[in-house]
Amino acid sequence: MKRFALLFCLLLVACGPQPAAPTPSRATASTTQAVVNIRLPVGYIPNIQFAPLYVAMEKGYYRQAGLEVTLDYSQETDGVALVGANNLQFSVASGEQVLLARAQGLPVSYVLAWYQQFPVGVVAGTQQGIRTPADLKGKQIGIPGLYGASYIGFRALLDAAGLKESDVILDSIGYNQVEALLAGREQAAVIYTTNEPIQLQARGFAVDVVRVSDVLQLVGNGLITNETTQKEKPELVRRMVQATLQGIQTALANPAEAYEISKKYVEGLAADDPVVQKQILAASMDLWKAPKPGYSDPKAWENMQGILIKMQLLKGPLDLSQAYSNAFLP
Amino acid sequence: MTPSKKSRWQVFFKGGRWLAGISLLLPLLIWQGVALWGGQPAFLLPSPWQVVLRFGDVLANGSLLYHTGFTLLEVLLGLALGSGLATVTGYALARSPLLERLLSPYLVASQAVPVVAIAPLLVIWFGPGLFSKVLVCALIVFFPVLVNTVVGVRAVPQNLRDLMHTLRASPFQVLRQLEIPAALPVLLGGLRIGATLSVIGAVVGEFVGADRGLGFLVNVGRGRYDTALVFVAILTLVALALLLYGGVVLVEKRLLRWEK
Repeated sequence: MKRFALLFCLLLVACGPQPAAPTPSRATASTTQAVVNIRLPVGYIPNIQFAPLYVAMEKGYYRQAGLEVTLDYSQETDGVALVGANNLQFSVASGEQVLLARAQGLPVSYVLAWYQQFPVGVVAGTQQGIRTPADLKGKQIGIPGLYGASYIGFRALLDAAGLKESDVILDSIGYNQVEALLAGREQAAVIYTTNEPIQLQARGFAVDVVRVSDVLQLVGNGLITNETTQKEKPELVRRMVQATLQGIQTALANPAEAYEISKKYVEGLAADDPVVQKQILAASMDLWKAPKPGYSDPKAWENMQGILIKMQLLKGPLDLSQAYSNAFLP
Repeated sequence: MTPSKKSRWQVFFKGGRWLAGISLLLPLLIWQGVALWGGQPAFLLPSPWQVVLRFGDVLANGSLLYHTGFTLLEVLLGLALGSGLATVTGYALARSPLLERLLSPYLVASQAVPVVAIAPLLVIWFGPGLFSKVLVCALIVFFPVLVNTVVGVRAVPQNLRDLMHTLRASPFQVLRQLEIPAALPVLLGGLRIGATLSVIGAVVGEFVGADRGLGFLVNVGRGRYDTALVFVAILTLVALALLLYGGVVLVEKRLLRWEK
């Protein structure tokens, strides 16, 4: 009986209230505002391309803004759906996701343009002679899938050359573009211009890249929120936008530091080839630079809508004034 | 009411067959209720009626039959390949304990490796076409059919084997007239499991990289926030699995008539 009572007491102590975790010695939230926990889906696995977010977290920009941000590496469409349902306040998503979501009644809105240029392109070995969109005609091209930013960007390239999808041979190969090209299974592949071309060149494969951003301005990755959060918590949106923008600007100003910070958040980055990873970071940074950081270009939104309507992914024009906002920028 | 009609109604209610109708209707009513009053937007949970309307769209424009046909082809080929290899391998293992000891670790590993992890490798090695999808399907079907074949062949009573030996039956006669009939019930049980799992295999393969099939349709629905389309694809996959299961049950009834 005594043993049972002792065990019971030990269990009560173990299940009792835990001592509060010590607050970090880095910059802390303002004492005048409660800290808001933000789960931020980013739509991909931990990667050097998310360096600005890692910088913002590590340097305490989010914390100073009263935000406790944790990153979520689930799929992009899941993040957009959760924001649309107001189960989350923010997500990282590409511009076409906002229009496709709004067409289905999801009240999402794009509030910070992180990528100022659309990151999709087509890569091919130099022997294929693919240097312009018109050179894609008749080629066998690997694509991750017939949906998402890759597909929409690819169709924009075809459209720029007056080509139809039936003018090329498209193979859905998942995210195996590098392997497919090295194995000679495809003549070209649809890729993110900041990643696969560098991976291929690192393996001694000389490449040409045809970029969507060279033919048409579209809307790349950015920060989205929902209409409820915009209306009821505009200050929260402003703080999130400006802390994220600060992370982007700091990363752009200090790429070496951004790379070192990213090692803590990207498993295996320290063991990866630093030359290749720094090249990926540098290529990504080229797409983030802008005369007006974070600014959403109305023309890019009109172009994106136009492509989606031509692809019959949108039945007609949407109210673009609701799809994005520059009101939360500094 | 005539005596025969009365007994049919009695059979219907007493036998509990009306419960089958309730078990189909009740979940639909709950689903409709949650969609209407649960406060969830349609892109998260479309109502049954919205799914029915979407079903009508994709049926009318031919895309549902097109994608279903492709998935069915992968499933049938994968089932044939997987169960064929599993039956032959299972028989060999059942007859040779040495072979079983040698191959068991690899066979168990084939089941332990998550198919969703190996599917991208198969696409890299064998390309994004039909073959890699059939392989994924065969891989998922293989183990349950194999295990049931081994169990079924080993369950053949020794006294019957002795009898065949006494009658100087050839190995082929033992296989055809004793082992196959005796092992068939258990083997077909494995095939029932394999038939439903084969649908999962086909979809996993299509998720990795495909431009047609019901798994592809799920991805398209997700990519366009068309949740009703996702439901249509999932329910069609369920119907496909039920059809295949029913097909195996019919084959079982035909081949095992002698048991009754």
